[in-house]
Amino acid sequence: MADESLAAAGLYIDELNKIRVLEPEVAQQTAELKDECKEFVDKIREFHERADHFIQVADTMSEAVESEKMRVIGARNLIKSMSKQREAKEQQLLALIGEKKLELERLRVQYESLRRTEADQLEFIEQFVLRK
Amino acid sequence: MRFKTSILNKPKHTDLVSCVGWMSPDEVYSCSDDQQLLQWNLVSNETTKWLPRTAVQKTKVGSEVFLLTACDGKFYIVGRNGRIEKTVEAHRGAVLAGQWSHDGAGLVTAGEDGLVKIWSRSGMLRSTLAQVSVPVYGAAWAPDSDGVLYTTGTNLIIKPLAPNSKPIQWKAHDGVILKVAWNPNTGLILSGGEDTRYRVWDNFGRQLYTSTPHHHPITSLAWSPDGQLFAVGSFNTLRLCDKAGWCHSLEKPSTGSIFNIAWSSDGTQFAGACGNGHVIFSHIIEKHLEWKNYEATVTSRKTIALRDVTNEAWEKLEMRDRIINVSLSYGYMVIITSSQGYIYSTRNWNTPFIFDLKESNVSLIVQAERHFLVVDGANVYVYSYDGRVLCAPRWPGMRTDVLNSRTVSLSNDTLAIRDKSDEKVVHLFDATTGKGLNDGKAWSHKLEIVEVALDKVGTAHERRMAIVDRNRDLLLVTLQRVGTMSRAVKLGSMVQSLCWNDGANMLAALQDSKFTVWFYPAVVFVDRDMLQATAMERDAAEYGKNAVVDSFLDSVVTVRRADGSLVTTSITPYPALLHSYVTAKRWDDAVRLARFVKDDIVWACLAAMSTAHKELITAEVAYAAIDQAEKVQYIRYIKEIPIKEVRVAEMAMLGGHIGDAEATLVQSGLYFRAIMLNLMTYNFERALQLAIRHKTHVDTVVAYRKRYLARFNKTETSKLFQQYEKQVNVDWKTINEKIAMEYQREREKPTSPQSNFVDT
Repeated sequence: MADESLAAAGLYIDELNKIRVLEPEVAQQTAELKDECKEFVDKIREFHERADHFIQVADTMSEAVESEKMRVIGARNLIKSMSKQREAKEQQLLALIGEKKLELERLRVQYESLRRTEADQLEFIEQFVLRK
Repeated sequence: MRFKTSILNKPKHTDLVSCVGWMSPDEVYSCSDDQQLLQWNLVSNETTKWLPRTAVQKTKVGSEVFLLTACDGKFYIVGRNGRIEKTVEAHRGAVLAGQWSHDGAGLVTAGEDGLVKIWSRSGMLRSTLAQVSVPVYGAAWAPDSDGVLYTTGTNLIIKPLAPNSKPIQWKAHDGVILKVAWNPNTGLILSGGEDTRYRVWDNFGRQLYTSTPHHHPITSLAWSPDGQLFAVGSFNTLRLCDKAGWCHSLEKPSTGSIFNIAWSSDGTQFAGACGNGHVIFSHIIEKHLEWKNYEATVTSRKTIALRDVTNEAWEKLEMRDRIINVSLSYGYMVIITSSQGYIYSTRNWNTPFIFDLKESNVSLIVQAERHFLVVDGANVYVYSYDGRVLCAPRWPGMRTDVLNSRTVSLSNDTLAIRDKSDEKVVHLFDATTGKGLNDGKAWSHKLEIVEVALDKVGTAHERRMAIVDRNRDLLLVTLQRVGTMSRAVKLGSMVQSLCWNDGANMLAALQDSKFTVWFYPAVVFVDRDMLQATAMERDAAEYGKNAVVDSFLDSVVTVRRADGSLVTTSITPYPALLHSYVTAKRWDDAVRLARFVKDDIVWACLAAMSTAHKELITAEVAYAAIDQAEKVQYIRYIKEIPIKEVRVAEMAMLGGHIGDAEATLVQSGLYFRAIMLNLMTYNFERALQLAIRHKTHVDTVVAYRKRYLARFNKTETSKLFQQYEKQVNVDWKTINEKIAMEYQREREKPTSPQSNFVDT
């Protein structure tokens, strides 16, 4: 009864027989809320940390990707110019080969004429010996 | 032959190098679009830097000053120390080319405004030579500095300096021509352009060579000072070519386009201005020489490798200084380095004779059996093979930079040099004293002479000179040491190239489409009819066009084809043997050889040689062998003649030299013979002139003339005869008596006993 009269006056007695202004139920809910809030804040903080970490990882990742991309572009260009360079090199070598071929032809002509001269001289010696 | 290039690791210039030039063999100047002028010292590898005010385009080096042309339309004359001595406003737009004349008296500039201007050496405008609508990219002086070659688009134009003279113009390339060069020594023109070809022209604009197309435009070309080689530059390309156009070697340095090439004055190295800021230096190595069984190769700047082919012996000769010029012939190798000359004998490669040089710019060495000739920048020296200077011949208007192996010839006793200012003239010197033959009077011809060649063996009084004139006729002259020179006798036509044999006086030549060897060229002085019989002709198709006889040693002729390949041909060795017998006067052996060989050429040579030596018995045998019955008969007749002079005259007659025969007779007072000679050759007028002058046998001449006219039913037309017909009585009886008396008198003349002559 007393409880009811107390409740009318806005006072309550809790389980530990202490006088309270708040309804025990509300107080309990409040405490629960408080706990929950704390939990929430903790979770949020954790999430934040994780997000930060994630961002950091993503950043480093993007950096790596960027540099890798540049590298690839460079490599691709290099390949492109390489083929050009190779073409130029090939041309150079072809020119050099052409020159060598010409030289070879010159030497071949000379060799052949020398062979002929040798044959002439051998024939001459043979004739000379025979006629003697 | 190839070149060895050197290039610094990092370019000294920050922009493309536009031009290079040499001041001395060790000093190079280069200028670049970075507005810097660098001086390169090749000995200490130092570069000095100057900063001229404007962008620099061209330098051409004179002696102590050089010319710098710039793209602000000015040209500068700059001293060796880098001080600008003169600035001249020359063109609107850039000055694209500038060159000193060969005599250093003036300079030519060509600009973007299409003008070609001639300036005095102090920078005063002499004339505006030409005005065209396109930029003139290149200009070059004529060999005599009396004209200028310049480019207009795809055309080349040679414009003489003399006013009102007609220029020669021709289309030379399919693309714009970027560079031209004209060598004063050979007179050959070189051009290259955007059609990626280079071409060689003679000074009439005839094309001698055209290259295959390259991948990039030809941006530079330059003749070596002696005109035997040229260098061509293009993008990442350097070529070294022979003057005939074929390529000695090709290099692909990473230089970018080579915008300018300049040779050093000794012709052993050149510098190139590269598009990437480098200056490339090259020197020529692997010059290859062959003589009989010896091969010499310049392996590096200072070493020569020698090889004796017969025993595979190798020698390596190390010089102290840079090798400038090498020559190997007649058993000696002459090496000229930048300070000294070395003479090695093939018998001894260990101890050379060493002599000091007056000047290191030796452009030419000509060897003979007993001595050799060295031509440097100012003088001509004859050295003996022990290194002594025998003489230093000089002649009026002397220029040594234009001498080459075609215009200079040396034999054991004589030196012949073709004049440059008057190309019809050949200066002749005694090779040991340096004095001019004929009191220094030069021998001159009707036409310009292209080539001179002296025969190599025999004695001084039968020294003969072969010349080729502008019409490509080959003529032979007997050189007289004193007195007037005899006239030249034609030997062949369309002669491109010729060479005397080293051991006998035989001459090999390339004629139009034939290869000819004259085994005894002097036959033209003895018996012209035998010229064909003493020569060997062969089809020259295998040598192609523009081939050159390279050497004629023993019985092997080497011909260099236009593509640079050497072709050897062997010829019969018997005429050379015959020559040696004749020189030794072993006539019996000579006849035996001819009998053994049974070859008409050998017999014909023997006939001509024995006739020349008045060796009648041999001549009779030889002429008989080649079925020349009339000559045999004539020789028999000559043998019967008692008087020596008459025999000499008759021998001349045998060779068809009527004038000489008559001169001999008149000289020795045998007027009757001279008159009879003219009568026999139906030269009545001359006979009558002689008769009148010497007051003898006028009636004989008139009588012969009358008989001749009567036989052919002709009337007298000659005034001289009409006049004398009336004055003299023609009585055949007295005439015959007189003639008989003359012969009688000759027989009694004691001057020369018959035996004396025939036995020799």
